[in-house]
Amino acid sequence: MDITQRAVLNATVLDVNGDLTYSNRAAFKTAVEQVKSRNCQHLIVNLEQVRFVDSSGLGLLVLMSQSFKLQKAQFSLLKPQSYVREIMSLANIPNMIPIYETEGDALTARAA
Amino acid sequence: MEEPSLEVSGSQGDRVAEGVPRAATILLVDDDPIFRLIMVARLEKLGYRVFQAEDGGQGLEMIRRLQPDLTILDWIMPKMDGPDICEWVRRDPLLKSSQIFLMSGHDRPEDIEEGLNRGADGFLSKDASPLEITARVQAGIRSSALVRQLAYARDAILAREQTLEAELQSAASFIESLLPSPGVPVPGIHLSWHYRPSLTLGGDLFGVTRWGRDYLGLFMLDASGHGVSAALRAASMVAFLHPDNLIRVSESYDPGAILSAANRRFPLSSEGEYFTLWVGALHLPTWRLRYASAGYAGVVLCRPHANSVWLEQADLALGFDPDGTFTTGEQEIRLGDRLYLSSDGVYEALSAEQVMWGKERLQRVIERHATRPVDYAIDQCFQASRAWQQAEHFRDDAALVGLERVDEQQDGITLL
Repeated sequence: MDITQRAVLNATVLDVNGDLTYSNRAAFKTAVEQVKSRNCQHLIVNLEQVRFVDSSGLGLLVLMSQSFKLQKAQFSLLKPQSYVREIMSLANIPNMIPIYETEGDALTARAA
Repeated sequence: MEEPSLEVSGSQGDRVAEGVPRAATILLVDDDPIFRLIMVARLEKLGYRVFQAEDGGQGLEMIRRLQPDLTILDWIMPKMDGPDICEWVRRDPLLKSSQIFLMSGHDRPEDIEEGLNRGADGFLSKDASPLEITARVQAGIRSSALVRQLAYARDAILAREQTLEAELQSAASFIESLLPSPGVPVPGIHLSWHYRPSLTLGGDLFGVTRWGRDYLGLFMLDASGHGVSAALRAASMVAFLHPDNLIRVSESYDPGAILSAANRRFPLSSEGEYFTLWVGALHLPTWRLRYASAGYAGVVLCRPHANSVWLEQADLALGFDPDGTFTTGEQEIRLGDRLYLSSDGVYEALSAEQVMWGKERLQRVIERHATRPVDYAIDQCFQASRAWQQAEHFRDDAALVGLERVDEQQDGITLL
Protein backbone atom coordinates (compact mmCIF):
# COMPACT_ATOMS: atom_id res chain seq x y z
CA MET A 1 0.00 0.00 0.00
CA ASP A 2 1.26 3.44 -0.93
CA ILE A 3 -0.16 6.53 0.78
CA THR A 4 0.73 10.08 -0.16
CA GLN A 5 -0.48 13.24 1.49
CA ARG A 6 -1.22 16.66 0.06
CA ALA A 7 -2.84 19.86 1.22
CA VAL A 8 -5.79 21.27 -0.73
CA LEU A 9 -7.29 24.55 0.52
CA ASN A 10 -8.44 23.87 4.06
CA ALA A 11 -8.26 20.08 3.79
CA THR A 12 -5.72 17.29 3.64
CA VAL A 13 -6.05 14.62 0.99
CA LEU A 14 -4.62 11.13 1.47
CA ASP A 15 -4.17 9.41 -1.88
CA VAL A 16 -4.28 5.69 -1.16
CA ASN A 17 -2.91 3.23 -3.70
CA GLY A 18 -3.37 -0.49 -3.04
CA ASP A 19 -5.73 -2.68 -1.03
CA LEU A 20 -7.18 -1.44 2.24
CA THR A 21 -7.15 -4.71 4.12
CA TYR A 22 -6.26 -6.53 7.32
CA SER A 23 -2.60 -6.77 6.31
CA ASN A 24 -2.31 -3.05 5.44
CA ARG A 25 -4.30 -1.66 8.34
CA ALA A 26 -1.31 -0.43 10.37
CA ALA A 27 0.07 1.71 7.52
CA PHE A 28 -3.30 3.33 6.89
CA LYS A 29 -3.99 3.95 10.56
CA THR A 30 -0.58 5.53 11.07
CA ALA A 31 -1.03 7.84 8.07
CA VAL A 32 -4.45 9.04 9.24
CA GLU A 33 -3.34 9.53 12.83
CA GLN A 34 -0.38 11.63 11.66
CA VAL A 35 -2.79 13.93 9.83
CA LYS A 36 -5.16 14.03 12.78
CA SER A 37 -2.38 14.92 15.22
CA ARG A 38 -1.80 18.12 13.25
CA ASN A 39 -5.36 19.29 14.00
CA CYS A 40 -6.56 18.72 10.46
CA GLN A 41 -10.13 19.99 10.12
CA HIS A 42 -11.06 17.97 7.07
CA LEU A 43 -9.44 14.75 5.89
CA ILE A 44 -10.37 13.45 2.46
CA VAL A 45 -9.34 9.84 1.80
CA ASN A 46 -9.01 9.35 -1.93
CA LEU A 47 -9.96 5.75 -2.77
CA GLU A 48 -9.70 6.06 -6.53
CA GLN A 49 -6.70 3.69 -6.68
CA VAL A 50 -8.02 1.22 -4.09
CA ARG A 51 -9.20 -1.99 -5.71
CA PHE A 52 -10.24 -3.93 -2.61
CA VAL A 53 -11.46 -3.19 0.90
CA ASP A 54 -12.13 -5.96 3.41
CA SER A 55 -13.96 -5.88 6.73
CA SER A 56 -10.84 -4.69 8.56
CA GLY A 57 -10.48 -1.82 6.12
CA LEU A 58 -14.12 -0.83 6.61
CA GLY A 59 -13.69 -0.93 10.38
CA LEU A 60 -10.70 1.37 10.17
CA LEU A 61 -12.58 3.87 8.01
CA VAL A 62 -15.39 3.96 10.57
CA LEU A 63 -12.95 4.18 13.49
CA MET A 64 -11.10 7.09 11.87
CA SER A 65 -14.37 8.79 11.02
CA GLN A 66 -15.50 8.52 14.65
CA SER A 67 -12.21 9.96 15.92
CA PHE A 68 -12.47 12.95 13.56
CA LYS A 69 -16.05 13.56 14.70
CA LEU A 70 -14.85 13.59 18.30
CA GLN A 71 -12.53 16.49 17.54
CA LYS A 72 -15.27 18.20 15.51
CA ALA A 73 -13.43 17.65 12.25
CA GLN A 74 -14.69 16.05 9.05
CA PHE A 75 -13.70 12.77 7.47
CA SER A 76 -14.71 12.18 3.85
CA LEU A 77 -14.20 9.52 1.22
CA LEU A 78 -13.49 10.25 -2.42
CA LYS A 79 -14.20 8.34 -5.63
CA PRO A 80 -14.38 4.67 -4.53
CA GLN A 81 -14.18 2.14 -7.37
CA SER A 82 -17.35 0.21 -8.10
CA TYR A 83 -16.44 -2.91 -6.10
CA VAL A 84 -15.33 -0.86 -3.09
CA ARG A 85 -18.49 1.25 -3.38
CA GLU A 86 -20.59 -1.93 -3.41
CA ILE A 87 -18.86 -3.32 -0.32
CA MET A 88 -19.36 -0.03 1.52
CA SER A 89 -22.97 0.12 0.45
CA LEU A 90 -23.64 -3.42 1.74
CA ALA A 91 -22.30 -2.31 5.11
CA ASN A 92 -24.35 0.93 5.04
CA ILE A 93 -21.16 3.00 5.28
CA PRO A 94 -22.63 5.89 3.22
CA ASN A 95 -25.10 6.42 6.09
CA MET A 96 -22.26 7.55 8.31
CA ILE A 97 -19.35 8.70 6.15
CA PRO A 98 -19.90 11.17 3.30
CA ILE A 99 -18.68 9.95 -0.09
CA TYR A 100 -17.90 12.41 -2.89
CA GLU A 101 -17.15 12.08 -6.57
CA THR A 102 -14.81 15.07 -6.85
CA GLU A 103 -12.43 16.89 -4.57
CA GLY A 104 -14.36 20.04 -5.33
CA ASP A 105 -17.59 18.51 -4.04
CA ALA A 106 -15.86 17.38 -0.86
CA LEU A 107 -14.33 20.80 -0.25
CA THR A 108 -17.60 22.60 -0.98
CA ALA A 109 -19.56 20.34 1.33
CA ARG A 110 -17.17 21.15 4.16
CA ALA A 111 -17.32 24.85 3.48
CA ALA A 112 -21.12 24.69 3.51
CA MET B 1 41.53 -42.82 0.35
CA GLU B 2 43.08 -41.66 3.52
CA GLU B 3 41.85 -38.29 4.49
CA PRO B 4 44.82 -35.94 4.68
CA SER B 5 42.82 -33.06 6.07
CA LEU B 6 44.24 -31.31 9.04
CA GLU B 7 42.38 -29.26 11.55
CA VAL B 8 44.58 -26.33 12.37
CA SER B 9 43.46 -24.38 15.37
CA GLY B 10 44.18 -20.71 15.26
CA SER B 11 44.77 -18.41 18.17
CA GLN B 12 41.04 -18.33 18.91
CA GLY B 13 40.54 -14.67 18.88
CA ASP B 14 43.35 -12.40 19.90
CA ARG B 15 44.11 -11.39 16.34
CA VAL B 16 40.63 -11.75 14.89
CA ALA B 17 39.52 -8.56 13.18
CA GLU B 18 36.74 -6.57 14.77
CA GLY B 19 33.27 -7.81 13.74
CA VAL B 20 34.55 -11.22 12.65
CA PRO B 21 33.20 -14.18 14.64
CA ARG B 22 35.81 -15.93 16.75
CA ALA B 23 37.00 -19.32 15.63
CA ALA B 24 35.28 -18.99 12.29
CA THR B 25 36.06 -22.02 10.16
CA ILE B 26 37.64 -22.00 6.73
CA LEU B 27 38.00 -24.94 4.39
CA LEU B 28 40.88 -24.67 1.95
CA VAL B 29 40.62 -26.97 -1.07
CA ASP B 30 43.74 -27.04 -3.22
CA ASP B 31 45.77 -29.83 -4.79
CA ASP B 32 49.03 -27.90 -4.25
CA PRO B 33 50.41 -28.86 -0.79
CA ILE B 34 52.92 -26.01 -0.76
CA PHE B 35 50.28 -23.39 -1.42
CA ARG B 36 48.04 -25.00 1.22
CA LEU B 37 50.88 -24.74 3.71
CA ILE B 38 51.36 -21.04 3.02
CA MET B 39 47.64 -20.21 3.16
CA VAL B 40 47.02 -22.25 6.31
CA ALA B 41 49.80 -20.40 8.08
CA ARG B 42 48.44 -17.06 6.98
CA LEU B 43 44.86 -17.88 8.01
CA GLU B 44 46.01 -19.33 11.30
CA LYS B 45 47.60 -16.02 12.12
CA LEU B 46 44.20 -14.39 11.64
CA GLY B 47 42.70 -16.70 14.25
CA TYR B 48 40.62 -18.99 12.07
CA ARG B 49 40.20 -22.73 12.36
CA VAL B 50 41.38 -24.12 9.05
CA PHE B 51 40.56 -27.44 7.41
CA GLN B 52 42.22 -28.70 4.27
CA ALA B 53 41.25 -30.94 1.37
CA GLU B 54 43.51 -31.98 -1.47
CA ASP B 55 40.93 -32.41 -4.24
CA GLY B 56 37.41 -31.51 -5.26
CA GLY B 57 35.69 -34.74 -4.19
CA GLN B 58 37.15 -34.60 -0.74
CA GLY B 59 36.42 -30.89 -0.55
CA LEU B 60 32.74 -31.39 -1.36
CA GLU B 61 32.47 -34.13 1.25
CA MET B 62 34.04 -31.83 3.87
CA ILE B 63 31.76 -28.92 2.96
CA ARG B 64 28.79 -31.21 3.62
CA ARG B 65 30.23 -32.56 6.85
CA LEU B 66 31.77 -29.41 8.34
CA GLN B 67 29.68 -26.62 6.79
CA PRO B 68 32.55 -24.14 7.17
CA ASP B 69 31.98 -20.40 7.38
CA LEU B 70 34.06 -19.88 4.23
CA THR B 71 35.35 -22.27 1.59
CA ILE B 72 38.27 -21.31 -0.59
CA LEU B 73 38.48 -23.44 -3.75
CA ASP B 74 41.32 -23.69 -6.15
CA TRP B 75 39.97 -23.31 -9.68
CA ILE B 76 41.96 -26.08 -11.32
CA MET B 77 42.04 -29.45 -9.57
CA PRO B 78 41.94 -33.07 -10.73
CA LYS B 79 38.55 -34.86 -11.09
CA MET B 80 36.37 -32.00 -9.89
CA ASP B 81 37.42 -28.40 -10.27
CA GLY B 82 36.40 -25.36 -8.24
CA PRO B 83 33.45 -24.21 -10.39
CA ASP B 84 32.10 -27.80 -10.43
CA ILE B 85 32.08 -27.81 -6.64
CA CYS B 86 30.31 -24.42 -6.62
CA GLU B 87 27.52 -25.84 -8.78
CA TRP B 88 27.12 -28.92 -6.57
CA VAL B 89 26.90 -26.73 -3.47
CA ARG B 90 24.29 -24.39 -4.98
CA ARG B 91 22.11 -27.38 -5.88
CA ASP B 92 22.13 -28.68 -2.30
CA PRO B 93 19.38 -27.04 -0.18
CA LEU B 94 21.40 -27.54 3.00
CA LEU B 95 24.54 -25.96 1.59
CA LYS B 96 23.39 -23.44 -0.96
CA SER B 97 23.94 -20.44 1.33
CA SER B 98 27.62 -21.40 1.93
CA GLN B 99 30.16 -18.68 1.23
CA ILE B 100 32.61 -19.79 -1.44
CA PHE B 101 35.64 -18.05 -2.93
CA LEU B 102 37.32 -19.29 -6.05
CA MET B 103 41.05 -18.93 -6.27
CA SER B 104 43.14 -18.88 -9.41
CA GLY B 105 46.61 -17.99 -10.55
CA HIS B 106 45.13 -15.44 -12.89
CA ASP B 107 42.17 -13.12 -12.63
CA ARG B 108 40.96 -12.52 -16.17
CA PRO B 109 37.54 -10.82 -16.24
CA GLU B 110 35.99 -13.69 -18.21
CA ASP B 111 37.18 -16.17 -15.55
CA ILE B 112 35.78 -14.05 -12.77
CA GLU B 113 32.48 -13.81 -14.62
CA GLU B 114 32.33 -17.56 -15.16
CA GLY B 115 33.21 -18.29 -11.53
CA LEU B 116 30.53 -15.96 -10.19
CA ASN B 117 27.96 -17.29 -12.66
CA ARG B 118 28.65 -20.86 -11.56
CA GLY B 119 28.03 -20.07 -7.90
CA ALA B 120 31.09 -18.45 -6.33
CA ASP B 121 30.59 -15.50 -3.99
CA GLY B 122 34.04 -14.01 -4.52
CA PHE B 123 37.31 -14.36 -6.26
CA LEU B 124 40.86 -14.57 -4.92
CA SER B 125 43.94 -14.25 -7.04
CA LYS B 126 46.87 -16.36 -5.95
CA ASP B 127 49.03 -13.43 -7.03
CA ALA B 128 47.26 -11.03 -4.71
CA SER B 129 49.21 -9.48 -1.89
CA PRO B 130 48.87 -11.02 1.58
CA LEU B 131 47.07 -7.85 2.68
CA GLU B 132 44.47 -8.15 -0.08
CA ILE B 133 43.90 -11.85 0.57
CA THR B 134 43.52 -11.14 4.27
CA ALA B 135 41.02 -8.36 3.62
CA ARG B 136 38.99 -10.46 1.20
CA VAL B 137 38.88 -13.44 3.56
CA GLN B 138 37.73 -11.24 6.41
CA ALA B 139 35.02 -9.74 4.18
CA GLY B 140 33.95 -13.27 3.20
CA ILE B 141 33.69 -14.33 6.83
CA ARG B 142 31.58 -11.25 7.62
CA SER B 143 29.28 -12.06 4.69
CA SER B 144 29.05 -15.64 5.90
CA ALA B 145 28.02 -14.46 9.36
CA LEU B 146 25.31 -12.25 7.87
CA VAL B 147 24.04 -15.01 5.59
CA ARG B 148 23.85 -17.40 8.54
CA GLN B 149 22.00 -14.82 10.61
CA LEU B 150 19.51 -14.48 7.79
CA ALA B 151 19.19 -18.26 7.59
CA TYR B 152 18.54 -18.47 11.35
CA ALA B 153 15.98 -15.67 11.11
CA ARG B 154 14.31 -17.42 8.18
CA ASP B 155 14.19 -20.71 10.12
CA ALA B 156 12.74 -18.91 13.14
CA ILE B 157 10.08 -17.29 10.95
CA LEU B 158 9.22 -20.63 9.35
CA ALA B 159 8.94 -22.25 12.77
CA ARG B 160 6.71 -19.39 13.93
CA GLU B 161 4.58 -19.74 10.81
CA GLN B 162 4.13 -23.43 11.53
CA THR B 163 3.05 -22.61 15.07
CA LEU B 164 0.60 -19.99 13.81
CA GLU B 165 -0.73 -22.43 11.22
CA ALA B 166 -1.31 -25.00 13.95
CA GLU B 167 -3.09 -22.35 16.05
CA LEU B 168 -5.27 -21.41 13.06
CA GLN B 169 -6.16 -25.06 12.50
CA SER B 170 -7.00 -25.43 16.17
CA ALA B 171 -9.15 -22.29 16.09
CA ALA B 172 -10.89 -23.50 12.91
CA SER B 173 -11.67 -26.84 14.58
CA PHE B 174 -13.03 -25.00 17.61
CA ILE B 175 -15.22 -22.77 15.44
CA GLU B 176 -16.58 -25.78 13.56
CA SER B 177 -17.38 -27.49 16.86
CA LEU B 178 -19.73 -24.58 17.61
CA LEU B 179 -21.78 -25.06 14.44
CA PRO B 180 -25.20 -26.70 14.64
CA SER B 181 -25.83 -30.23 13.41
CA PRO B 182 -27.65 -30.41 10.08
CA GLY B 183 -31.02 -32.14 10.13
CA VAL B 184 -34.10 -31.30 12.16
CA PRO B 185 -33.46 -28.70 14.88
CA VAL B 186 -37.20 -28.55 15.64
CA PRO B 187 -40.13 -30.46 14.10
CA GLY B 188 -41.13 -28.78 10.83
CA ILE B 189 -37.72 -27.30 10.02
CA HIS B 190 -35.02 -28.91 7.96
CA LEU B 191 -31.51 -27.43 8.27
CA SER B 192 -28.64 -27.76 5.80
CA TRP B 193 -25.42 -25.81 5.57
CA HIS B 194 -22.01 -25.67 4.01
CA TYR B 195 -19.10 -23.87 5.62
CA ARG B 196 -15.60 -23.33 4.26
CA PRO B 197 -13.30 -21.30 6.51
CA SER B 198 -10.76 -19.23 4.58
CA LEU B 199 -7.09 -20.17 4.82
CA THR B 200 -6.59 -17.39 7.35
CA LEU B 201 -9.87 -17.97 9.23
CA GLY B 202 -12.31 -15.13 8.81
CA GLY B 203 -14.39 -15.04 12.01
CA ASP B 204 -17.74 -16.11 10.53
CA LEU B 205 -20.12 -18.19 12.63
CA PHE B 206 -23.77 -19.14 12.60
CA GLY B 207 -26.19 -20.80 14.96
CA VAL B 208 -29.59 -22.46 14.89
CA THR B 209 -30.74 -23.31 18.37
CA ARG B 210 -33.80 -23.53 20.56
CA TRP B 211 -34.55 -20.37 22.56
CA GLY B 212 -36.87 -21.34 25.35
CA ARG B 213 -39.96 -23.40 24.63
CA ASP B 214 -41.44 -21.37 21.77
CA TYR B 215 -38.58 -20.02 19.65
CA LEU B 216 -35.99 -21.23 17.22
CA GLY B 217 -33.12 -18.77 17.42
CA LEU B 218 -31.06 -18.08 14.30
CA PHE B 219 -27.96 -16.01 13.92
CA MET B 220 -25.22 -15.35 11.41
CA LEU B 221 -22.24 -13.27 12.46
CA ASP B 222 -18.99 -12.02 11.03
CA ALA B 223 -16.21 -10.78 13.29
CA SER B 224 -14.11 -8.41 11.18
CA GLY B 225 -10.50 -9.26 10.55
CA HIS B 226 -8.82 -12.62 10.28
CA GLY B 227 -7.06 -15.23 12.33
CA VAL B 228 -7.31 -16.48 15.86
CA SER B 229 -8.33 -13.06 17.19
CA ALA B 230 -11.38 -12.92 14.90
CA ALA B 231 -12.27 -16.51 15.82
CA LEU B 232 -12.08 -15.73 19.54
CA ARG B 233 -14.26 -12.66 19.15
CA ALA B 234 -16.75 -14.72 17.16
CA ALA B 235 -16.81 -17.29 19.95
CA SER B 236 -17.41 -14.55 22.53
CA MET B 237 -20.41 -13.38 20.49
CA VAL B 238 -21.78 -16.93 20.43
CA ALA B 239 -21.57 -16.94 24.23
CA PHE B 240 -23.43 -13.61 24.27
CA LEU B 241 -26.18 -15.13 22.10
CA HIS B 242 -26.80 -18.01 24.49
CA PRO B 243 -30.52 -17.93 25.31
CA ASP B 244 -29.95 -17.58 29.06
CA ASN B 245 -27.76 -14.55 28.49
CA LEU B 246 -30.20 -13.03 26.01
CA ILE B 247 -33.01 -13.08 28.56
CA ARG B 248 -30.68 -11.47 31.08
CA VAL B 249 -29.38 -8.65 28.86
CA SER B 250 -32.37 -7.90 26.64
CA GLU B 251 -35.22 -9.39 28.71
CA SER B 252 -36.72 -10.94 25.59
CA TYR B 253 -35.92 -12.74 22.37
CA ASP B 254 -36.72 -9.65 20.34
CA PRO B 255 -33.98 -9.43 17.67
CA GLY B 256 -33.88 -5.61 17.67
CA ALA B 257 -33.47 -5.57 21.45
CA ILE B 258 -30.80 -8.27 21.22
CA LEU B 259 -28.80 -6.25 18.69
CA SER B 260 -29.15 -3.08 20.75
CA ALA B 261 -27.75 -4.94 23.75
CA ALA B 262 -24.97 -6.41 21.60
CA ASN B 263 -24.15 -2.93 20.29
CA ARG B 264 -23.56 -1.76 23.84
CA ARG B 265 -21.59 -4.86 24.77
CA PHE B 266 -19.32 -4.88 21.68
CA PRO B 267 -18.17 -1.35 20.78
CA LEU B 268 -15.75 -0.72 17.94
CA SER B 269 -12.31 -1.74 19.21
CA SER B 270 -9.26 0.50 19.17
CA GLU B 271 -8.18 -1.36 16.03
CA GLY B 272 -11.51 -0.82 14.29
CA GLU B 273 -12.72 -4.39 14.91
CA TYR B 274 -16.47 -4.92 14.86
CA PHE B 275 -19.23 -7.43 14.16
CA THR B 276 -21.91 -7.68 11.56
CA LEU B 277 -24.76 -9.78 12.87
CA TRP B 278 -28.16 -10.99 11.74
CA VAL B 279 -30.51 -12.40 14.36
CA GLY B 280 -33.85 -14.12 13.82
CA ALA B 281 -36.37 -15.51 16.30
CA LEU B 282 -38.86 -17.95 14.75
CA HIS B 283 -41.94 -18.21 16.92
CA LEU B 284 -42.86 -21.86 16.51
CA PRO B 285 -46.55 -21.74 17.56
CA THR B 286 -47.31 -19.09 14.89
CA TRP B 287 -44.39 -19.60 12.44
CA ARG B 288 -43.71 -15.90 12.48
CA LEU B 289 -40.09 -14.89 12.06
CA ARG B 290 -38.89 -11.69 13.68
CA TYR B 291 -35.47 -10.52 12.64
CA ALA B 292 -32.97 -7.64 12.84
CA SER B 293 -29.70 -6.94 11.11
CA ALA B 294 -26.58 -5.08 12.18
CA GLY B 295 -24.92 -4.47 8.83
CA TYR B 296 -25.58 -8.04 7.73
CA ALA B 297 -26.93 -8.18 4.21
CA GLY B 298 -26.95 -11.87 3.30
CA VAL B 299 -30.32 -13.31 4.42
CA VAL B 300 -33.01 -14.06 1.86
CA LEU B 301 -36.45 -15.65 2.20
CA CYS B 302 -37.45 -17.68 -0.87
CA ARG B 303 -41.04 -18.75 -1.40
CA PRO B 304 -42.45 -21.27 -3.85
CA HIS B 305 -44.98 -18.91 -5.42
CA ALA B 306 -43.85 -15.42 -4.51
CA ASN B 307 -40.89 -13.13 -4.95
CA SER B 308 -37.87 -13.64 -2.78
CA VAL B 309 -37.34 -11.10 -0.01
CA TRP B 310 -33.99 -10.00 1.41
CA LEU B 311 -34.37 -9.70 5.17
CA GLU B 312 -32.10 -6.74 5.79
CA GLN B 313 -32.34 -3.37 7.41
CA ALA B 314 -30.42 -0.16 6.87
CA ASP B 315 -28.94 -0.50 10.34
CA LEU B 316 -25.20 -0.27 10.89
CA ALA B 317 -22.78 -2.91 12.06
CA LEU B 318 -22.30 -3.30 15.80
CA GLY B 319 -20.15 -0.54 17.24
CA PHE B 320 -20.45 1.82 14.28
CA ASP B 321 -22.93 3.99 16.17
CA PRO B 322 -22.61 3.71 19.96
CA ASP B 323 -26.17 5.03 20.40
CA GLY B 324 -27.63 2.98 17.56
CA THR B 325 -30.93 1.16 17.82
CA PHE B 326 -32.01 -1.70 15.63
CA THR B 327 -35.31 -2.29 13.89
CA THR B 328 -37.13 -5.60 14.12
CA GLY B 329 -38.81 -6.83 10.95
CA GLU B 330 -41.31 -9.66 10.65
CA GLN B 331 -42.24 -12.31 8.11
CA GLU B 332 -44.50 -15.34 8.18
CA ILE B 333 -42.77 -18.60 7.33
CA ARG B 334 -45.12 -20.80 5.32
CA LEU B 335 -44.87 -24.43 4.31
CA GLY B 336 -42.21 -24.75 1.59
CA ASP B 337 -40.55 -21.44 2.40
CA ARG B 338 -36.80 -21.47 2.50
CA LEU B 339 -34.59 -19.12 4.43
CA TYR B 340 -30.97 -18.80 3.29
CA LEU B 341 -28.32 -17.14 5.46
CA SER B 342 -25.21 -16.38 3.46
CA SER B 343 -21.88 -15.04 4.65
CA ASP B 344 -20.47 -12.19 2.58
CA GLY B 345 -17.60 -14.48 1.61
CA VAL B 346 -19.98 -16.28 -0.78
CA TYR B 347 -21.50 -13.33 -2.64
CA GLU B 348 -18.52 -10.96 -2.47
CA ALA B 349 -16.42 -13.37 -4.55
CA LEU B 350 -14.43 -11.31 -7.01
CA SER B 351 -13.87 -12.10 -10.67
CA ALA B 352 -10.57 -11.53 -12.44
CA GLU B 353 -12.12 -8.29 -13.75
CA GLN B 354 -12.77 -7.11 -10.18
CA VAL B 355 -16.52 -7.63 -10.45
CA MET B 356 -18.43 -8.94 -7.44
CA TRP B 357 -20.53 -12.09 -7.87
CA GLY B 358 -23.19 -10.34 -5.85
CA LYS B 359 -26.47 -11.05 -4.09
CA GLU B 360 -28.55 -10.96 -7.27
CA ARG B 361 -26.59 -13.83 -8.83
CA LEU B 362 -26.76 -15.73 -5.54
CA GLN B 363 -30.53 -15.26 -5.50
CA ARG B 364 -30.86 -16.47 -9.09
CA VAL B 365 -28.97 -19.70 -8.36
CA ILE B 366 -31.07 -20.29 -5.26
CA GLU B 367 -34.30 -19.71 -7.18
CA ARG B 368 -33.17 -21.86 -10.11
CA HIS B 369 -32.89 -24.81 -7.74
CA ALA B 370 -36.01 -24.04 -5.70
CA THR B 371 -37.48 -27.49 -6.36
CA ARG B 372 -34.33 -29.41 -5.53
CA PRO B 373 -33.22 -30.26 -1.99
CA VAL B 374 -31.79 -27.34 -0.03
CA ASP B 375 -28.33 -28.89 0.32
CA TYR B 376 -28.22 -29.31 -3.46
CA ALA B 377 -29.06 -25.62 -3.95
CA ILE B 378 -26.36 -24.67 -1.45
CA ASP B 379 -23.82 -26.79 -3.28
CA GLN B 380 -24.76 -25.14 -6.57
CA CYS B 381 -24.27 -21.69 -5.04
CA PHE B 382 -20.77 -22.61 -3.90
CA GLN B 383 -19.93 -24.01 -7.30
CA ALA B 384 -21.18 -20.86 -9.05
CA SER B 385 -19.31 -18.55 -6.69
CA ARG B 386 -16.09 -20.54 -7.11
CA ALA B 387 -16.50 -20.52 -10.88
CA TRP B 388 -16.96 -16.74 -10.76
CA GLN B 389 -13.75 -16.15 -8.84
CA GLN B 390 -11.95 -18.96 -10.69
CA ALA B 391 -10.45 -20.22 -7.45
CA GLU B 392 -11.16 -23.11 -5.11
CA HIS B 393 -10.44 -21.19 -1.90
CA PHE B 394 -12.41 -18.16 -0.78
CA ARG B 395 -10.52 -15.11 0.49
CA ASP B 396 -13.00 -14.86 3.37
CA ASP B 397 -14.96 -17.50 5.28
CA ALA B 398 -17.77 -18.81 3.12
CA ALA B 399 -20.91 -20.12 4.78
CA LEU B 400 -24.38 -20.74 3.43
CA VAL B 401 -27.16 -21.97 5.71
CA GLY B 402 -30.52 -23.15 4.39
CA LEU B 403 -33.66 -23.71 6.47
CA GLU B 404 -36.86 -25.06 4.98
CA ARG B 405 -40.23 -25.27 6.58
CA VAL B 406 -41.56 -28.74 5.85
CA ASP B 407 -44.60 -30.72 6.80
CA GLU B 408 -43.99 -31.90 10.35
CA GLN B 409 -45.40 -35.30 9.40
CA GLN B 410 -42.51 -35.72 6.96
CA ASP B 411 -40.13 -35.56 9.91
CA GLY B 412 -38.17 -32.77 8.32
CA ILE B 413 -37.05 -34.70 5.25
CA THR B 414 -37.59 -32.95 1.92
CA LEU B 415 -38.89 -35.47 -0.59
CA LEU B 416 -38.40 -34.05 -4.04
